[in-house]
Amino acid sequence: MKYLTEYRDPVVAKALLARIKSSASRRWVLMEVCGGQTHTIVKQGLDELLEDAVEMIHGPGCPVCVTPLEQIDKALHIAARPDVIFTSFGDMLRVPGSDCDLLQVRARGGQVRIVYSPLDAVELARKNPDRQVVFFAVGFETTAPANAMAVWRARQLGVHNFSVLVSHVTVPPAMCAMLDAPDNRVQGFLAAGHVCTIMGWTEYEPIAAKYRVPIVVTGFEPLDILEGIWLAVAQLESGRHEVENQYVRAVRRDGTVPARNLVEEVFQLVDRKWRGIGEIPRSGLGLRAEYADFDAEIRFGLTDFTQEESGECRAGDVLRGQLKPFQCPAFGTRCTPEHPLGAPMVSSEGACAAYYNYGRFRQAHVATGTTP
Amino acid sequence: MCLGIPGRVVDIRDDQGLAMGTVDFGGIRREVCLAYVAGDIRPDDYVVVHVGFAISKVDEVEARRTFEVLREMSQLEELEWMREVADRSLDPLGGPAA
Repeated sequence: MKYLTEYRDPVVAKALLARIKSSASRRWVLMEVCGGQTHTIVKQGLDELLEDAVEMIHGPGCPVCVTPLEQIDKALHIAARPDVIFTSFGDMLRVPGSDCDLLQVRARGGQVRIVYSPLDAVELARKNPDRQVVFFAVGFETTAPANAMAVWRARQLGVHNFSVLVSHVTVPPAMCAMLDAPDNRVQGFLAAGHVCTIMGWTEYEPIAAKYRVPIVVTGFEPLDILEGIWLAVAQLESGRHEVENQYVRAVRRDGTVPARNLVEEVFQLVDRKWRGIGEIPRSGLGLRAEYADFDAEIRFGLTDFTQEESGECRAGDVLRGQLKPFQCPAFGTRCTPEHPLGAPMVSSEGACAAYYNYGRFRQAHVATGTTP
Repeated sequence: MCLGIPGRVVDIRDDQGLAMGTVDFGGIRREVCLAYVAGDIRPDDYVVVHVGFAISKVDEVEARRTFEVLREMSQLEELEWMREVADRSLDPLGGPAA
């Protein structure tokens, strides 16, 4: 526990907090785009400790939360087939589709399995040659190399009863979409540490320059986040807009090149809908034509399926920072982690679930300019 | 979802052309794909693992510290999955759904 104690030394935290507060000449608005960071910020109350100096907007940093309704419905359709074993990371099972979720499909007899690694799904396909095994390939750039490897491996080993339902998203286009919005309030970003472990930070450099916003690659532990905020505030106070790396121990400028190469081999950029936000051009990854044999949407005839979102979930307003979770009329009443209306209440990394789980039903100072 | 868990590489081997290995996470051992860091690691090195893939090498001090912080924060959900599904996910259809 020695290092934990050192790392959580309250003296260090207090010093960083004091430095941020004393240097902020106004209240700056920063966005984190990482569900792990959102979880830490809300759990530790970092945003409340800093509320006079910094407003934190919890951006679309949870891949579970931004998976569009139509991809969930496709998953439900495939998982209900008697010839299919549907595999997924565990946190997708409770995301509500139009009619039900994957857990309910399983309760009705569907073969829905949680896998830890996408390679486990390939292995499951090898051991069940008379079944179609489908893996729900979701995630940001951190997860894309793992999912790309599963597809590459299936082809290498000739596992033709394996396919993937792809709903991959990438962070930089979402940041640009936030900045392009006419009602944008974001003045700086914490970039997601493990996304950058894979990708490095070169693609953030043109964003920082074009929009004149600081972007700080940041880890997900409390002191990481405080240091990331400090670096961003220091840039804002001095009028700089650069990409900086707080998460030095895990991130290099070019990322993890072998992982990037396999992602490039298997996937290509595609337009992608984000739940609650809408379609963002070239913001997702889809299989390249050479790997179309492993595309579950083609295999099960779902390429033309679309589903519009509706209902009272205001996830889009939360993800764009226009609404704090507790300002949503459904928060904590008609929408709870047990009965979620939308994905941000499902995942422990979703802003709504984090606010709910840590008792944030209101806030002493609501952001200036934020309308309920 | 993008959380990574640090662990110690126990062994490295070739599985039909793919670098795989055993990684020890504070006592729980799991098969991990090492393909993305293969040129850079040896047994007893520490790696950050995300959904069964090593995504970067870290030093031991850093690995222990991060692991303790994660445990303290009760954010080892990935580790819980590992515990739950490590033995079951590869079962044929007769096995319990994880």
